[in-house]
Amino acid sequence: MEIDLNQQSKKEQSGTAYNLGDFKILVVEDSPFIANLLGSCLMEMGVGSVIKAGNVRDAKDKILSNNAMTSGQNIDMIILDWLMPDGTGGDVLKWIRGHKNASIKFVPVVICSAYTSTELVYESRDLGANEVMVKPVSAEKITQRMLHIIDHPRPYVQAPDFVGPDRRRRTLPFDGEDRRKNKPEVISES
Amino acid sequence: MSKSDVKIIHRKNKLKAKAGGEGGKGGYIDPRAVARGQASIEQQEENYADEVQIILTKIDSAWDDLKNEQGDPKKEKQNLSTLHNYANNIKDIAKTFDYELMSYFGESLRDFCEKLNVANPVHQVIVKAHIDVMWAAFKTNIKGEGSREAEELKIILNKAIEKHSKA
Repeated sequence: MEIDLNQQSKKEQSGTAYNLGDFKILVVEDSPFIANLLGSCLMEMGVGSVIKAGNVRDAKDKILSNNAMTSGQNIDMIILDWLMPDGTGGDVLKWIRGHKNASIKFVPVVICSAYTSTELVYESRDLGANEVMVKPVSAEKITQRMLHIIDHPRPYVQAPDFVGPDRRRRTLPFDGEDRRKNKPEVISES
Repeated sequence: MSKSDVKIIHRKNKLKAKAGGEGGKGGYIDPRAVARGQASIEQQEENYADEVQIILTKIDSAWDDLKNEQGDPKKEKQNLSTLHNYANNIKDIAKTFDYELMSYFGESLRDFCEKLNVANPVHQVIVKAHIDVMWAAFKTNIKGEGSREAEELKIILNKAIEKHSKA
């Protein structure tokens, strides 16, 4: 696959060149070959630290050991395969969004799957995924998902039956009557 | 539901700050770094054949285990899951390097595993047909789906599925 350097250089004129050197990304992938592929791609793109987990249990252990402590460098983003030997990416995502620790609960997650069904996209969204990336992986796809997470973070919704980024990607104008009985509490972290 | 049951939390954008971004302006990742990332993926194609051979051997083994350990529901579930995962791995790897035929067979086997009843002899024939055409595609190093050889292998598989599904 060729990267369109001309198109990319147009973007350079209007924005900041991001430095990913302080980023720590967890790749959860049961195929060591694909995990290495993703890892080397991320490192070449300038990501400072890439750690890998090969199954659901290993993923939870790595997340806990990195993000449960208040000190140290947390995992900043997770690229999460769907199909694994001891469960699914959905199991990990559900666990993340249900966690009490905010540095685990709100970590951005990109679901990375060879499944292309709309059901998987809806399921990932409803479990709180930030982005979905369909395999095969490419540097361009990874870049797009990372930039979307960095530049367009959505507020998190925390409700009894859902925790995750706001599922509405766009706010459409509405001039009708607001009939909600219980308005959500809006919290802005400073 | 009380008022506090639903919260909308606008979190501080720590990632942007960490990446050196500022304000509401968007940024970019150095296109040269993106190109290097893509090159590192493409470079791995030299290991494609070794990796696929390893996984096909594991598929053979997983299929033998699945047939031989029938009757133990726990083992059967685990063996089926193993076969399913390897088929999915083959699809992932083959698709990454545009081995469309192998990807097609991997996906077909993975999807078939989702309805596989190992006790059914018809299903056994269909799984075996998948494994045989995957090995054939590997040994003859067929990449795309358009060649005559590729078409023949797809016909062999589809005929096996059609014939035995009706039996």
